[in-house]
Amino acid sequence: MNALRDRGNYAHRLEFGVRAAAGDEYDAERSVRQAVLAEELGYDVVALADRPDTTGIDALTALGWIAARTSKIKLRADVLTPRDPALLARTIASLDHLSGGRAALVLGTAAGAGAAGEAVDVIRALWNTSRTGTVRYSGHFYRLSGAQPGSPAHQVPITVLGDDDRAAADLAGRKGDGWTASYPAELSLGDAAVVIDRAAELAGRDAREVRRELLIRGGLGVREGIFTGSPAEWVSDLLPLVVDHGVSGIVLDLTEVDADGKDLLTRFAQEVVPALKAGVDKVLPDGWQGRAVRSRAALARRAPGVDYDDVPADVAEVLEPGDPRYRRYRGGYLRGGTPGIVLRAETDDQVVEALAYARRHPHLPLARRSGGHGISGRSTNAGGIVIDVSGMNTIEVIDEATRRVRIGPGARWMDVAAALLPYGWALSSGDYGGVGVGGLATAGGIGYLSRAHGLTIDHLVGVRMVLADGSIVEANEVENPDLFWAVRGAGANFGIVTSFEFVVDVVGDVGYAELTHDASDTAGFLVDWGSVVEDAPRALTSFLVVSPARRGQPSYAQSRTMVDSGDPETVLAHLQPLADIAPLLAQQAQILPYAAVMANAADQDPRSAGEPVSRSGLLAHITPEFADAAARVLRGDAVYFFQIRSVGGAVSDVDPDATAYSNRAANFSVVAMGRDDASLDEAWAQLSPYFDGQYLSFDSSLRPGRLEDTWSPSTLARLRDLKAKYDPDIVFDDNFAVLPTTTEKDN
Amino acid sequence: MTDYGHDLIFGSFVTPVSTPVQRPVELSVVSERAGLDVVSFQDHPYMPALQDTWTLLSYVAARTERIRFTGNVLNLPLRPPAVLARAAAGLDQLSGGRFEMGIGAGGFWDAIGAMGGQRLDPGDSVLALEEGIQIMRGLWDTSQPGGFSFDGEFYQVPNAKRGPAPAHAIPVRVGSYKPRMLRLTGRVGDGWLPTLKYLPEGITSLAWMNEHIDEGALAVGRKPTDVTRYLNIDGRFSQAAGGLFDGPPQQWAEQIADVALAYGISGFLLMSDDPADLELFGREVAPLTRELVAAERD
Ligand SMILES: Cc1cc2nc3c(=O)[nH]c(=O)nc-3n(C[C@H](O)[C@H](O)[C@H](O)COP(=O)(O)OP(=O)(O)OC[C@H]3O[C@@H](n4cnc5c(N)ncnc54)[C@H](O)[C@@H]3O)c2cc1C
Repeated sequence: MNALRDRGNYAHRLEFGVRAAAGDEYDAERSVRQAVLAEELGYDVVALADRPDTTGIDALTALGWIAARTSKIKLRADVLTPRDPALLARTIASLDHLSGGRAALVLGTAAGAGAAGEAVDVIRALWNTSRTGTVRYSGHFYRLSGAQPGSPAHQVPITVLGDDDRAAADLAGRKGDGWTASYPAELSLGDAAVVIDRAAELAGRDAREVRRELLIRGGLGVREGIFTGSPAEWVSDLLPLVVDHGVSGIVLDLTEVDADGKDLLTRFAQEVVPALKAGVDKVLPDGWQGRAVRSRAALARRAPGVDYDDVPADVAEVLEPGDPRYRRYRGGYLRGGTPGIVLRAETDDQVVEALAYARRHPHLPLARRSGGHGISGRSTNAGGIVIDVSGMNTIEVIDEATRRVRIGPGARWMDVAAALLPYGWALSSGDYGGVGVGGLATAGGIGYLSRAHGLTIDHLVGVRMVLADGSIVEANEVENPDLFWAVRGAGANFGIVTSFEFVVDVVGDVGYAELTHDASDTAGFLVDWGSVVEDAPRALTSFLVVSPARRGQPSYAQSRTMVDSGDPETVLAHLQPLADIAPLLAQQAQILPYAAVMANAADQDPRSAGEPVSRSGLLAHITPEFADAAARVLRGDAVYFFQIRSVGGAVSDVDPDATAYSNRAANFSVVAMGRDDASLDEAWAQLSPYFDGQYLSFDSSLRPGRLEDTWSPSTLARLRDLKAKYDPDIVFDDNFAVLPTTTEKDN
Repeated sequence: MTDYGHDLIFGSFVTPVSTPVQRPVELSVVSERAGLDVVSFQDHPYMPALQDTWTLLSYVAARTERIRFTGNVLNLPLRPPAVLARAAAGLDQLSGGRFEMGIGAGGFWDAIGAMGGQRLDPGDSVLALEEGIQIMRGLWDTSQPGGFSFDGEFYQVPNAKRGPAPAHAIPVRVGSYKPRMLRLTGRVGDGWLPTLKYLPEGITSLAWMNEHIDEGALAVGRKPTDVTRYLNIDGRFSQAAGGLFDGPPQQWAEQIADVALAYGISGFLLMSDDPADLELFGREVAPLTRELVAAERD
C-alpha cells in the first residue's frame, strides 16, 4: 500500500452519493424525494439504478424529472441491464444539457465486459464532436453507420460497474473514468486494484485516471458488523478504504431501505461524512479534496515553455490543451487558438495570481479573455497564456436612485440588458448580445442607442483593475483619473479590468425595425440612407448591412434600426423616411424591450477556428464619392460583409479629449470583413481616403499606422506616457498596444 | 363531413432544440400559462440538433403543473416498446396523469439505421407499430392476473411482470398518413395525430383519411368516436386576413371551427416557437373557437 500512499492515494476528491430507491416496491416519487433530500444534505451525487426488467420507476425518466427539481447534485444513471448505447448517449447528453452539466453514467456488464466495452466506445464516439463527419462503428454487439455526433454539456464520466467481475475491473482500467462495486464483495479491493491498475498501465493510462467507488449498505444503531453501529464505527470502517485502497466515492445504497431512509441519509451526511473527511485530511497529503489528475493522453498535449508545475493553486480553473473543457476557452467567436494554458480567474486575487504566473513567462504571449468576441483584441494565442475572466460575470445594481450598476467583465451584453430590464433601464453596447463586457467597455461601444445615449464608455464612472505590477486599483474621476481617462478607449493597454461601474439610462420599450431595401442603385441608396440618418432625431440609430448583387439577385440593404421610444406613432414617424428611401423587399417593425433585441445570441459558447479579417473606418458623411467607392468595392469579391453604423448624436457631444476615444465627430462607423488581408487591404484602400480615423474594436489588422488612425496625436502621446507609467514592460499587448514613451517607436 | 363531437383541445408543438437547451422548456411554461391543454415535441433521436425528447418530456413535466404533454410523435423503432411503456407509466405517475403517448412507426430509415436501429419496410413498420402498442397496453394493464407475454414478429416479451400501472388511462395517439396505418389507428389507437403540412392533398385529405380510420375502428367493433383526431397546424398571425391559418385570431378561430365541424378534428396543436403566437393561440383563438363550435353544435 505504500506505493499508493506515495501517489497521494490516487488523489481524487472524496465524494458521497446516494443510490435512490427504485424497483418493484417503490412509488415513483420516492426516488425524487430522496434525491431532493440528498441535495439539501450536500451529497455530491444521486444515482438511480436503471432496471427496465423491473416495474419500478424508469431511472432515466426519473433523472429527467429530478434534473428539473434540483440544481447542484450530480445525476447518475446506473445502467445495469444493457440498453442501446446510441440512444443512451443521446439521453445522457440531453440530461447533461438540461441539468447544466450534472449527468454521470455507470455501465454494468450484465451482457459481458465485451458488450459493455463496445457500449463505452459507441457512447464516447457519439459524444465526440471535435472530429468532423459522422460516426461509424462496427463491433460485435453494436453498429453505427454514419450517426451524427452530439456532445453533452460537460465531459460526462463513464464508470464501469465491477462487483466481483475481474473482466469488468479490467474494462474499467482500460476505458473507464471509474470503477464501482458493491462492498464488501468476493473480489477484494486489493485484487481489484491490481487488475485495474495493470489494465490502465497496459492501455497507456495513468492508474489515477480511474476513480474507485463503492456502493455500501448499512444502518446506524447496534453494531452488527461493517457499516453498522455508531457514526464513529462507520468512520473507522470507511477510513481504511479511502486511505489504503484509494476509494474516493462512497454511495449509500437506499434501494432496500424501508421508507425513505431519511434518518440514515441525514445522519450519514451530518455525522459520518464530516468525520471521515477530517480523518482523511489528517492522513493524506491532498486531503479529502484531492487534486486534479490529468490523463497521460492529456499530458502529452502540453505546450513547451509553460511551467505546468508552478500553476497558481488558487485560480478558479486551470485548463491545459488536453483538458476537455479547454475547447470552450481556447478561442472565441471569430478566432481560434491553441494556448498552452488557460487560467480562469473569478476574483481580483485570482487575477493577480494568474498575472504573476504569466509574468514568470515573459517569453510567452499573454492574452486576456472576457466574452471571447474580440476582433482587434486577440484573446487567444498559440502556445501562450490566456487569463480568462468570463466567470466574473455578475451584474448588480448598487444604487437604484442614481442608476449605478456594477458589472463584471465576463458578463455578456444580452445578460446585462436582461438584468436591467426590470428597472426600466438599458445600457447601449452594440448589436450582438453575445459580446462580452470586458473587451467592449474598454474600447468604446457603438450600439443601438448610440445617437440617443452615447458610447458605452460614456456611461462608465469607474473601474477596478489589476495593473501589470499586480496591484489592484480603482480608477475614476477622483482616484487615478489619468488611468480612468485611458481606460475609456484604450483600456486594454493598461491592465485587466475586474469590475466596471456604470450609470445607465432610463430606457422603456423601444421601436425596432428590420427593413430590407432594394439597393440596385447601391451608391444612391447609401447616400440617401446617410442623409436620412443624419437628419433623423437622435432617438434613431440605424445599422446597415449592404449585400452586393450575386447570382441574379439584385443588391439589397438590410437595416436594423432602433428608435428610443415606445410610442408607435413616434416610432413610425421616425422610421418612415428610412422606409421611403427605396423599394422595400421585406419589413418588420415592433415595439419591444431593449433586452428583447439584445437576446439574439445562442447561449452556446462560441468556438471558432478561424481568424477574422476586418477593417474599420470612421466617416463624417456618406458623400456621393464615398458611396461610389463603396459600391465599387462591393461589386468586387474582396468583401463578404459590409456594414455602416450610425454614430454621431450623443457620441459627438463628448469632448474628444475627455476620454481615450478620439474620433467623436464621425457620424458613421464603417466595417468590412474579407477573406484575407491582402485583398481586403486593396479594396479598403479605395475607401480609406474618406475616413477620419477608425474604431479599434472593428479592426483586426496589425498594420503600422493603426494607432495613429485610432487616436489623435495628443491622445496617443498621453497614452504612451501612461503606458510608461502603468505598463512599462508592455505586458498587455494583445489589442492595439502602444509603446511607452521612452521607447523609439510604437509597434 | 363528420363532427365526432369531442371537446376541443388546444396545444403547442414546440421544436425541442438542443440550444438554447432551456428554450423548449420555457415555451412549455408559456404554453401552460397561455391556457393550452397540451404541449408536444417531435422526436428524432438521430438528430443531435434536437434534444432527446423523452428526457425533455420528463424535465418539462417537472417544470409544469397542469398541462398535458406528449411526443408528437415518438419514434418507436429507436424506443423499444416494453421499456417505453414502463417509462411512460412512471412519468404518468410522477406527473399526476398528464402524459399522453403520441407514437409513430418511424420514417428516415437511413438515420434510424445509422443509429443501429432496425430498418423496416413500410408494411413491416405498420405491423411493428401494432405490436408495440399491444405491448404497451399489455404492460400497463395490471388488472390482468399473471405476467405478460408477447411473441410477435418484431418484438418479444417473455413473461414480464405487468406494471407499473399509469396514473390514468394513457391515450395512445398515432401519427399516420397512409391507408394501412390509418386503419391501424382506427383499430388500436385512442387518437390520431397527423400534421397538416404532410397531409397528401392538404386539409381536404382529412375526409378520406377519416374514412380509413373509421373503417379500421368498425372492423374490430369499435366506434369511430373512440378515436379522437388531432392536427398539428402551422401558420401565422397577421393583421390582414389571408389564406388558411394566416390572419388575425378571429379568422383562425373561424377556420379551426370549420375544420373541427367539417372533419371532426378536435385537437389543434400549433407548430410555433414564438411565445407571442402561443399566447395568442391559447388566450384568444382557443376560447373563440370553442364558442363558435359550441354555437354550431347546439
Ligand atoms: C459579432 C460581434 C458583434 C460586435 N458588435 C459590436 C458592436 O455592436 N459595437 C461595438 O462597439 N463592438 C462590437 N463588437 C466588437 C467588440 O466590442 C469587441 O470585439 C470586444 O473586444 C469584444 O469583447 P469581449 O470581451 O467579448 O472580447 P474578448 O475576446 O474576450 O477580448 C478582446 C480583447 O479585449 C481586451 N479585454 C478583454 N477583457 C478585458 C478586461 N477585463 N480588461 C482589459 N481588457 C480586456 C483584451 O485586449 C482582449 O484581447 C462586436 C464583435 C463581434 C464579434
